[in-house]
Amino acid sequence: MMLGRLAARKAARGAFLCQRVHPTISALPARFQSTAAVEAEETIRAPPPSFEPKAGRKYEFFQDIEMTPEGVAVIRFDGPKSVNSISFDMSREARVMWENEIANNAEVKAVVFSSGKPGMFIAGADIFDLKAVENKQDLVGLIEEGMDFFQLMKDKKIPLVCAIDGPALGGGLEWTMWCDYRVASDSPKTKLGLPEVKLGLLPGFGGTQNLHELVGLQNAMDMMLTGKDVRPDKAKKMGLVDLVVASQSVESVAIQSAIDLATGKLKPKRKKKSLMNRLLEDNPIGQKLIWNQIDKMVAKNTNGNYPAPYSIIQCVQHGLANPATKYKNEREQFAKLAATPESEALIGIFDGMTQMKKHNFGKDAARPVNTVAVMGAGLMGAGIAQVTAEKGVTVLLKDRNDEAVGRGQSYMKGNWDKKLKRRRMTKFKHNIASSNVIGLTDDNPATPAHFARAGMVIEAVFEDLDLKRKIVADVESQTPDHCIFATNTSAIPIADIAQGAKRPENIIGMHYFSPVPSMPLLEIIPHEGTSDATKATAFEVGSKQGKTCIMVKDVPGFYVNRCLGPFLVEVSAVVRDGVKLEALDKALKNFGMPVGPVTLADEVGIDVTSHVAGFLSNADLGDRMGGGDISLMKDMIGKGWLGKKSGQGFYTYKGKKKTISPEVEAYVKGFVQQDLGLSEKEVQDRIVSRFVNEAAKCLEDDIIENPVVGDIGLVFGTGFAPFRGGPFRYLDQVGVGNYVDMMHGFADKYGPQFEPCQLLKDYAAAEKKFHSS
Amino acid sequence: MILSRNAQRLLRLNHTKILPSSSITASFSSTTSAAAKSTFLIPPDAARQVVIVGGVRLPFSQSSTIYEDELTVDLQRLAITGLLNKYPQLVTKNGDKTTSVIDYVIAGNVIQEVKTSNIAREAAINAGLPYNIGAHTIAQACISANAAITTGAQQIMTGQADVVLAGGVESFSDLPIRLSRPFRQKLIGMNKALKKKKGTHPAIASLQHFFGGKEGLKSKDLFGLETPAIANYTTGEVMGVSSDKLSAKFGVSRQDQDEFTVRSHTNAAKAHLDGFYKDEIVPYNGSREENGIKGDSTIESVGKLKPAFVKPHGTHTAANSSFLTDGAAMSLLMSEEKALELGFKPWAYLRDWSFHACDPWEELLLGPTYCTHDILKRNPSLSINDIGVLEIHEAFAGQVLSNLVAMDSDKFAQDRLGGADKVGALDMSKMNIKGGSLSIGHPFGATGSRLLTTASRRLQQEGEQFALLAACADGGLGHACLIERYDK
Repeated sequence: MMLGRLAARKAARGAFLCQRVHPTISALPARFQSTAAVEAEETIRAPPPSFEPKAGRKYEFFQDIEMTPEGVAVIRFDGPKSVNSISFDMSREARVMWENEIANNAEVKAVVFSSGKPGMFIAGADIFDLKAVENKQDLVGLIEEGMDFFQLMKDKKIPLVCAIDGPALGGGLEWTMWCDYRVASDSPKTKLGLPEVKLGLLPGFGGTQNLHELVGLQNAMDMMLTGKDVRPDKAKKMGLVDLVVASQSVESVAIQSAIDLATGKLKPKRKKKSLMNRLLEDNPIGQKLIWNQIDKMVAKNTNGNYPAPYSIIQCVQHGLANPATKYKNEREQFAKLAATPESEALIGIFDGMTQMKKHNFGKDAARPVNTVAVMGAGLMGAGIAQVTAEKGVTVLLKDRNDEAVGRGQSYMKGNWDKKLKRRRMTKFKHNIASSNVIGLTDDNPATPAHFARAGMVIEAVFEDLDLKRKIVADVESQTPDHCIFATNTSAIPIADIAQGAKRPENIIGMHYFSPVPSMPLLEIIPHEGTSDATKATAFEVGSKQGKTCIMVKDVPGFYVNRCLGPFLVEVSAVVRDGVKLEALDKALKNFGMPVGPVTLADEVGIDVTSHVAGFLSNADLGDRMGGGDISLMKDMIGKGWLGKKSGQGFYTYKGKKKTISPEVEAYVKGFVQQDLGLSEKEVQDRIVSRFVNEAAKCLEDDIIENPVVGDIGLVFGTGFAPFRGGPFRYLDQVGVGNYVDMMHGFADKYGPQFEPCQLLKDYAAAEKKFHSS
Repeated sequence: MILSRNAQRLLRLNHTKILPSSSITASFSSTTSAAAKSTFLIPPDAARQVVIVGGVRLPFSQSSTIYEDELTVDLQRLAITGLLNKYPQLVTKNGDKTTSVIDYVIAGNVIQEVKTSNIAREAAINAGLPYNIGAHTIAQACISANAAITTGAQQIMTGQADVVLAGGVESFSDLPIRLSRPFRQKLIGMNKALKKKKGTHPAIASLQHFFGGKEGLKSKDLFGLETPAIANYTTGEVMGVSSDKLSAKFGVSRQDQDEFTVRSHTNAAKAHLDGFYKDEIVPYNGSREENGIKGDSTIESVGKLKPAFVKPHGTHTAANSSFLTDGAAMSLLMSEEKALELGFKPWAYLRDWSFHACDPWEELLLGPTYCTHDILKRNPSLSINDIGVLEIHEAFAGQVLSNLVAMDSDKFAQDRLGGADKVGALDMSKMNIKGGSLSIGHPFGATGSRLLTTASRRLQQEGEQFALLAACADGGLGHACLIERYDK
């Protein structure tokens, strides 16, 4: 548990920071879900059969055009996949359709773009397109082709209207911005945004040029730099859409609007800017102020590690100054970004996440779970309960007394209240979610009847083997035979917990990271005897909870914490070698970690960190846990320097500022044996190589199945520099051979803890890469 | 709906209320046989029996304390989820589909929030109950929940329903405070007025509308607000004043009232301490504490308070009057058949009830006496001494004691009950021994459900056969209800 909490909190902090700090990355799945790119998976594995036109269906990506008596051509997007996306094929077909049926047809007085799929406009551009283009420079031509179509569309000089019901993201939103009038539905599914920045890209179909004309410079930059999407009511306020109506009438209203626009009865009105915004946005001095502000924000948030926001700024600025070449510049910038390792890494993470959505135990392997019991209503238990109840599953939240259960429920309520405030949740959803949580105690007479309905029990109590075995026995006697027992342990082998159980095949580890609601990763740890049905069920419950699940072997520390162990040891080693605490934090932040290791230890708690390091030191890692002295932290516990929670750890927390007190300085000095005058690069390499090597060792030892799992695990579990794509993609990018050489150098200098694992050596010798693209 | 013959008979009984004396065949010595041949509204041989299967309440709490941030509907919702969680067999979930054996939900509520005028419905679906369950809300002042319960019972008797949730809710933490009437009128009429003055600038037109001419708003209209008062609409009299007058009339002294108040607090505190309420109260934020209960009350401490309503010589104080309370409660009623089918062990049978009303000018809060008399009169086999559990709503100590005096008064029986036998003296050792509204609190819409649950549970624990609940209410309304222990 301790260990879990360390990694968990660290990662939590990590994710939190990268969410706030960096608009681009946000390794959170929730963010990726709204990404411009459409799930590439199906495309990669099984390309759809080539399209054959037939009666009633002339086009692959569109339904046949419907003409209204008033001369409105209704064009409905309807691609072959479950979501509509924009691809080069689609834009080519659109052009053919336009040329054949619209361009020279005098009867067409107006066009409405709608969708043949309810609740789905266009979810974005097809990511597979990008990957398929070997030489990214070719993208310039391809985009130009697409842009020519939009120009062709405009050249007809008839009203173009969009009926938006469902997501209009990325290329989808860009399409609507080429039109004259936008009608959006008020459905919760409708969201508008340009999330390209999250994949290290920019909106390349005119988005960087057209958006600010509709919504003003500040709104536009906010949308493009954060990639966040906008709900219909807000979009209306901004001027991004002209009308918001019920989803049932979105198309008919769009058609009527098109008629009225064609007859001149309706004139599209641009949203008037407020006086303040006119002052700011419409004169050079005000603009300069805005750009200064934006530059500062981006610099602060990207730490210089992400190129996309800078390109977006360049595009907008260039367009304002040189209108003639604005689109040309935009697509050139796009092609440039598409070729960056950062974009490749971010797309890799996105792809990996998509892959992690499916397990391979078969479609029906998982048992349906309607009720999940969570044992322990502490921070961890309440967090698990929260993400489960939110998804409509009944949760039995059990602890030793009502006060403890009440605290857990208050924790959830607090989190849901925040969501309510941010309009991420309606009051009704809030109520239903809280109604889904049933607080229970041992002396509650209803407890047995509730447990008799449980399909899964997740245990989040103290790390005590006897206690856990007792809970297993209790639960087995109270629950149906198919009920799965998941333990949220981080330190006890799952096999040990399963020993002596009546139904060991139902026992599995589900290792969550704290705080559960915001941490995207879940490690699922089967033991030798765990059945496939149990694995599949755990996977599906985890996915339903909104977690990205990785299957990991039952070894000390599992995957994420195991990698963190050597990392922690090395932190103590560089302190011993004279690196100042602040410099250490800065070095790792500059590498791209969400937070430096010293701050991290304080956040997690010095006691917890020390316990984790101690636990792994006594485990099976051998030399790989050597080379440092973790008593640096252990001795702080006695002094009551427990980290942020006690107001004093490595840093002293008073007010908002954190400082290093002379007392701590003197204490740390006692540990310094030498000042090697290490450069920032060497500090980064020493610490990160221990981390990365352990990840590779995990792959070598089959603790993780493949490099994709390894990358996703450390990015989502620890916030490992997302723009580097995770440890394995990082190795690919710097070159495994180079990395092995570097580690050998460290091994000679510092000791065997730096010896690269066999797998790394093999890859180096064979000049192999972990990822093919 | 075709009513069973039995149900028709029952309904007729309910309306005629008083049975011809010829239908009473014998007098009974033993209470068991009394039940067997009784003339109850729902006699033991009725085909459809209504049973009380369960009930819960949220901790009752002084207003503007723990529930300050909750809406009234939230309290009712929490009481419903509390009940559902206590009885898991009521709801079944399968994937996204939720089904329930519950047929109907009825809630009592007095001070209405306009956004949730049918609070029963909103609370039910926000508690996660399936959409197909009907619901309505009843306002009958302090006996609203009793009305909800008996309405639910009638649905069961007539075969319209098998399982009914009936209870109620009140919050004084979020009172509907309104603008003054003239201000409201101006606001409501604004659109019309502005349309008339189309040529004028809207700002000027609105100013003219609100402040122009003789009918323009005065400052007292602007700043005067209407807050709901606990007073009768017809008489204009505040409840406390009515009760004070009643106590004077029946000779109930300040000392009597203070003693009764201390008794209420002592009993409630002890019941909590003994864990009596553990199974009855669903915790709010992990706690079952009811913060109106002052276990350390003494005659001295209570005696120090000044009169609150009639000054300076009145006898009613803030202590011996029930305080403004937030809370919610829910009872679970079923047909006996359904309860057994679902594996429940019912607490009690619902046998008889009355909603006899009286003169709001003279005896506003004397309903319990009339209603209790009603029930006894209808069932001559039964005497007040046969009733082993008494749960009487304590609106004011003076009101309860006045009723007790009236019940035991030959003169009152002579003058007001048409010369019938008096009800008799109530045995204090059986009455409100787990506390009452003076100490636990009195959320108007919810109290009736609390009385039913506590009475039913006391029947089971104390092994008595009959329990009587009684309550007074604004408007001269009253209620009494008779239940019988279930011991099959």
